[in-house]
Amino acid sequence: MSASPIKPVAVLGVGAAAPSLRLAAKDVGAAWGSGGGRGTVAVCDSDEDTLTLAWQAANAALEAAGITAEQVSGLWWGTARPPFAEGPSHAFLSATLGLGRECGGALVSGSSHAGIEALLGAWDALAAGHAAVALVVTSDALVPGLGTAGETTTGAGAAAVVLGAMAEGSEAPSANGAAPAARLVARATRAMPAVDRYRADGGGATGDVYDARLFREEVFVPLLTEAGRAVGDEGGTPPVSWAIADPDGKLAGAVAKRLGAPLSSTPVYGALGDAGAASALLGLIHACAEGGSSTGSGPGVIGTIGYGGGRATAVVLDAARPVPGAVPVDRLGEGRRVSYAEALRARGQLEPMDDPIQMGLPPGGAAFVRGNPEMLGLFGARCKECGTISTPPSIHPTCVGCGGAELEVVSLARRGRVQTFVVNQTMPPPFQAPLPLVIIDLEDGARLMVQGSPADAAALDIGDEVTLSLRRYALERGIPVYGYKAYRVAGDWPQSGATVGSAQDGAGKEGGS
Amino acid sequence: MSWNKVAVVGAGLIKMGELFEQSYEQMAAGAFSAALASVDKGLDKSAVDAVIVATQRGTLWGQEGIGGNTVPSAIGLSGVACTRVENACPSGSDAFRIGAMVVASGVHDVVLVIGVEKMRDKSTQEGLLARAAAGHPLYNRGETAPVLFAPFATRHMHEFGTTPEMLASVAVKNHHNGCLDPYAHFQSEITVEQVLASPMVCSPLRLLDCCPQTDGAAAILLTSAERAHEFTDKPVYVAGFGVATDHPYLHEKSTFVGLPATTLASGRAYEMAGVGPRDLDMAEVHDCFTITEILDIEDLGFVEKGKGGPASLEGETALDGRIPVNPSGGLLAKGHPIGATGIAQLTECWWQLREEAGERQVAIRQGFALQHNVGGRGSGVSVVNILTRNP
Repeated sequence: MSASPIKPVAVLGVGAAAPSLRLAAKDVGAAWGSGGGRGTVAVCDSDEDTLTLAWQAANAALEAAGITAEQVSGLWWGTARPPFAEGPSHAFLSATLGLGRECGGALVSGSSHAGIEALLGAWDALAAGHAAVALVVTSDALVPGLGTAGETTTGAGAAAVVLGAMAEGSEAPSANGAAPAARLVARATRAMPAVDRYRADGGGATGDVYDARLFREEVFVPLLTEAGRAVGDEGGTPPVSWAIADPDGKLAGAVAKRLGAPLSSTPVYGALGDAGAASALLGLIHACAEGGSSTGSGPGVIGTIGYGGGRATAVVLDAARPVPGAVPVDRLGEGRRVSYAEALRARGQLEPMDDPIQMGLPPGGAAFVRGNPEMLGLFGARCKECGTISTPPSIHPTCVGCGGAELEVVSLARRGRVQTFVVNQTMPPPFQAPLPLVIIDLEDGARLMVQGSPADAAALDIGDEVTLSLRRYALERGIPVYGYKAYRVAGDWPQSGATVGSAQDGAGKEGGS
Repeated sequence: MSWNKVAVVGAGLIKMGELFEQSYEQMAAGAFSAALASVDKGLDKSAVDAVIVATQRGTLWGQEGIGGNTVPSAIGLSGVACTRVENACPSGSDAFRIGAMVVASGVHDVVLVIGVEKMRDKSTQEGLLARAAAGHPLYNRGETAPVLFAPFATRHMHEFGTTPEMLASVAVKNHHNGCLDPYAHFQSEITVEQVLASPMVCSPLRLLDCCPQTDGAAAILLTSAERAHEFTDKPVYVAGFGVATDHPYLHEKSTFVGLPATTLASGRAYEMAGVGPRDLDMAEVHDCFTITEILDIEDLGFVEKGKGGPASLEGETALDGRIPVNPSGGLLAKGHPIGATGIAQLTECWWQLREEAGERQVAIRQGFALQHNVGGRGSGVSVVNILTRNP
């Protein structure tokens, strides 16, 4: 298909995120009386989903790249599980990242191939000159069918990459003029119309219909091998190692063996399980981190292959030095080990018989239409007279400090200290106890009351430093409601699930599974 | 300020509790009968020419958005002028204040102020969550009633060294008083140890730091001081009142060791009555949670800011203390049927000032009693009424 030579793009920074929970395969086996199983998989807590994971990874990547939200021309988001199967997923994520209403890009979905497809879309827009800086986010949190083999392999995670168009006739991206740490240099896609993992329209859980040996021998291994060989055949330097999306912890190794280069992404699967659409970029981030490759190759020419829905795409990255933000994925944090029942509850697969008590306002109603921008973007209203910040703007036409009527909307600080708090222990569903509610004095002087992390409930104290992280407050009448929660910076548990940035702070917490 | 003096000539309430067997209408009729029966020289109900109804939580019994006509019909006064007041936890005390102003204006002669609340026609869980996501769609999600007060306890403990024992002493005192009040929801003694061993509801508040969900009704008959002696030789007069507001959301509070609305409202009431905290013989204050009473006695000026805990522990607010607080058992023991609460508190003041409170009677020396409520989102509304038996 390829008509003209591939135009490289610069990789300005990367970020990764893992959800908070870990489920041991042996606990799944015990529940079904099917014996063993090894390792753990990552599971979203009930207040996490592909949007909150994407938010974490994207923020980490932007920070590593030194790129502000204003500089981003488009958001390409790849996930097989957008929070709204049909709805404003992209607009919500864009609002939480402060990307502005004119932000371009696309939401790519449909299979686990969505992640690498989002990368290709962004790359094309940059190469065409339609965008200068692209934010690519891939996140997934598949829900495996109960009693299927997928329960012990299906994980979750997110990876983000900030890409910059190369300036005309230059080796440097136009965004910052500096020589990039890495460039994407080659790619190839191969397809085969074979049904494997699938979810019907309206289906809650993902199922696998394939015969394992048939899938391995006739679909996965040949297709990914062909894609991997194709990028090498284009004349570039062949990758010294491969990161490969891995549905079961075994298939990727078989492909790498055929390609004749070591597999660098084994620890990614080991840490998170199959992270679906996020797998390919998680593997790439892991491989280009210093010391991240299990082969010790570090920077250099490395490849990744994404797979899903009968399509495989190989992408080659040429790293001159460690890419900003890249750290080994197996150092994203251990997460909190939970029972099978708790994991099911968190994934919404174990629900009480009674209808939950409905909240006062439907999330599709006018209050949310008015409130979503300020809730997702975390805005306040600063008084031009006295400087007091009233939050949120929609309910404060006048200043709470002086009554002044001239206010400007500002983005609030994301860190602060606990003024006072409670831990609510008596919350019927849909709430879960313990539920801390924290009143925070933010660094910019604004005051906010938000929910806190249950994991902080025991240790929380006045004066504690906290950081705000996006979470799903509720899934109400089928609609997700997002907002920020407070996490102790010195918490025992990585403050925002786990992000690359926080993992570095939490030295000594590394472990992996 | 020039206004015609107003007198209370009758007051009564029904036994508080989980009144599953009684309808809203039956509770209203019971309270009205009790008020009529208390009028020393009798009062024909046809003399009532206006009714002010306080009902705060229509949502809890499927009567949200109704007007003021349910009560007149239920008590045999259909046709009478009637207005329903909804002003959060001070709904009853505000209805009283408004009733007093109506009489003071000379527009109506005999006004019935009646508070009626059904708290238990829905499950306790629904009652708990009724406000947990009201208002802004996000910023108070999870804000059940204890969340409105517990952050103040956390901060009060942090700044002043207030202890769980001090909080518990409020509950112990009010449950003791409730044992002496035949109308109280709870009539059993509790100990500090029991409070501290009760389940944590919303830290640092435990189960026995919290008032129950209670059905109830209370009624008061007001007329002008001029006409009061037609009905009784022992009228009680309205000496003053005040109402004040504060920002509604918790994160807008300027302080977490006091409730500014209470300070403002009581300042206005003291000024109108021409008295101060030292002139009071007793007070019925808003003790929805133990910490609330500690904040109240500071904000009302009974004790210095920060000293509410030790004062409670040391018995300054007991029946025989320096300033008896909540001789009726308060919201903690008598219960908190929201619209009825303020009117039930005022009924207690009426009994105390007339020295008819039986075993829980406090010493009446100067003839003044104070009644207080605070509530609403972020405790943003407070009403204080001051009664006197002095002509």
